[in-house]
Amino acid sequence: MTIGFAIRNMPRAIARILATSLVAGAMALPAAAQDRVKVEWWFAHGGRLGEIVQELVTNFNNSQDKYQVVAVHKGNYEENMAAMVAAYRVGQQPTIIQAAERGFMTMLNSGAIVPVPELLEQQGHDVDWDDFIAPVSGFYLVDGVPAALPFNSSTPIFWYNRDKFKEAGFEAPGETWQEVEKQLYAIKEKGISNCSMALANDFFWSLIENYAAIHDQPYGTLANGFDGLGTEFIFNKSPLLVGQLERLSKWMDDGVLQLAGQGLAPEQLFTSGTCATYVASTAAHAAISSGAQFDWSAAFLPHEEGVEPKNSTIGGGGLWVLKGKSDDEYAGAAAFIDFIASPETQVWWSKQTGYVPVTNAAYDELKSEGYFEENPTREIAILQLTRGEPTESSRGFRFGNHNQSMQILVEEIQGVWTGQKSPQEALDNAARRGNEILRQYEQLHAGQ
Amino acid sequence: MPDSNAAAGIGRASSRAPLTLGLAMGRLLPKTSDSGLKTAHFRKPGIAAALLAPQLLILLFFFFIPSYKALSLAFVQVDPFGAKQIFVGFANFAQLLGSADYRQSVVFTLWFTIVQAVVTIVLALLFAFATDFIIRGRGIYKSVILMPYAIAPVISGVLWAFLFNPAVGPVAQFIHSLGIPWDPNRRPFDAQLLVVVASVWKHICYDYIFLVAALLAVPQSLIEAAKLDGARPVRRFFTISLPLITPTIFFLMVMNVVYGLFETFGIIDAVTRGGPAGATNSLVYKVYQDGFVQLNLGSSAAQSVILMIVAILFTILQFRALERRVNYQV
Repeated sequence: MTIGFAIRNMPRAIARILATSLVAGAMALPAAAQDRVKVEWWFAHGGRLGEIVQELVTNFNNSQDKYQVVAVHKGNYEENMAAMVAAYRVGQQPTIIQAAERGFMTMLNSGAIVPVPELLEQQGHDVDWDDFIAPVSGFYLVDGVPAALPFNSSTPIFWYNRDKFKEAGFEAPGETWQEVEKQLYAIKEKGISNCSMALANDFFWSLIENYAAIHDQPYGTLANGFDGLGTEFIFNKSPLLVGQLERLSKWMDDGVLQLAGQGLAPEQLFTSGTCATYVASTAAHAAISSGAQFDWSAAFLPHEEGVEPKNSTIGGGGLWVLKGKSDDEYAGAAAFIDFIASPETQVWWSKQTGYVPVTNAAYDELKSEGYFEENPTREIAILQLTRGEPTESSRGFRFGNHNQSMQILVEEIQGVWTGQKSPQEALDNAARRGNEILRQYEQLHAGQ
Repeated sequence: MPDSNAAAGIGRASSRAPLTLGLAMGRLLPKTSDSGLKTAHFRKPGIAAALLAPQLLILLFFFFIPSYKALSLAFVQVDPFGAKQIFVGFANFAQLLGSADYRQSVVFTLWFTIVQAVVTIVLALLFAFATDFIIRGRGIYKSVILMPYAIAPVISGVLWAFLFNPAVGPVAQFIHSLGIPWDPNRRPFDAQLLVVVASVWKHICYDYIFLVAALLAVPQSLIEAAKLDGARPVRRFFTISLPLITPTIFFLMVMNVVYGLFETFGIIDAVTRGGPAGATNSLVYKVYQDGFVQLNLGSSAAQSVILMIVAILFTILQFRALERRVNYQV
């Protein structure tokens, strides 16, 4: 009686997790008797996405009786990475780790990984590596094979509150930044919303890096780092990028663009209806579709007037397999990765989360069942990712210790928000400090 | 009657204590022949070592090994996984001392620590002084002051961040309604102020407990004498109580500084994350950010070595300089 009472009174999310783990626990009981091989996986998704990950793992564990994947949430991508590194140094690492696209070089050159294709081949699994959609394989392939399994791939899109747009007399967001600017100011000035746009925490990715890709602006030399470790940041030399930061800074000064700051997730500013628009990952589908109580929709990212927009770049994470585990664990890891790469799982995962289906097979299946006609916002990301022919500047980024230079960029841009620095100064500083990090990385990894 | 009973009890206990202790130890004997040693010593060094061992083990694991690790990492560039390592000499230190953001962090840490330590002790003194004059609900008064100590820093930090969030925070809305611009996300001073307020609030109770106890220990006879001479409460406080509790205040200042320097990590992480633009990036928080978030272990280790040196120097200096002015005789 008391348990029932407690469960009814618990927030839904907790109850759901509890239910999932109860189910997982129940499934694990007979398994324990048969000595299932435990395969540890550290992942980085919180909130609604974290619940979906647990469901995914439960699905896998139910699909066979040899292995049991144990998914552990270690915090966001950075915390997950830090926890894994610390564990690796003392031999306590998990078998599988989810690392962000930003950590690609760090993982690739770590000397701590078992290449996923090699592992799958050894364990007798057959995955068609040519079937990945172009923007994903363009990023993950090294010498023709992926270094990790592209797991959750996304790209930023433009989310908007359709009610507020209608109220302001707009059917949809404009295609260019110039049109969007007018709309955002109109929404503010007509008093429809005090906040026209919420600034996402990963705005450096959605509004700076992807802006560079879409406008074909080189972010670093040597094809954004794809051609060697000698790459240098040159984003500060692009008048367009400086202009983008000037625009954001002006919006913020005028109260059109709002920082959520600490104690509040920017996504909440959008889903609660406070802010009318939000530029963020397509993976926000999971949270927005379950949280927003208004007529929401999404659109392509805006571009500058008179520019032919290129593709945007992928974000999200890949699954890496770490060295130093037993053969049984590797067999389990391979089976799990095979399970994830299968079109069925991809379709399920994409529908649940909003992440793009990473294989053509999964994409085709979603198309053929008419999923995108019913849910048009689900296709924006993949259409935007595959738009036009990728150039050296739009293919993606491969910078050593990119996590560090990104943090520096954010810190410098905060100097723009506080009015201490001009956009040009901030980007110059970020490039200079970022280049120190690239040189350190080059020095340490020379000869790779 | 009760008084004399208590006194007798204490007398009995104290007369028995040395004997039982001595018997229990078995080896703790007054000096007889081993000249040069102190009057009481262990004849068998094994026992001394065994008694010291737990403390030494703790020091070994929490001080000596980490210090050695930090020192060994401070002079190298290393990849996070520890596979590659290059000796770079003092390059990590040179880079730190030459970087504007490290200097900014030093300046912030200094003023933050000093302001926080002084404000905390002044407020705690005020509250402790007022305790005597609160007749009704003294228990409630004390509990309210002590409560923050029971709240985890991260939880209280999140609450502070939320309450003062310019978009949704009720306190922030109130401040705005007074016509004061408030935005810790964009105004560095607001963020610094918020961190100071949050950490003072968290630490007042600690100082308060010690100060109330210290004030209780001030001999009642002195205060009564002053009362007879016509000294008012404030005068009595400054001329009698305050000088007598200086040892406590000195101790608390040391503790406050240590708290400000090393233990405000949780609050900063939850309230500002070191931002905006590094405005609240204290030295300790920067060690964490650079080492554990950005995985730049060499620089992070160099920073902790600097911090360790500062901590050691500071402790020596503080005891040397301040001890002489402090009256330990109550």
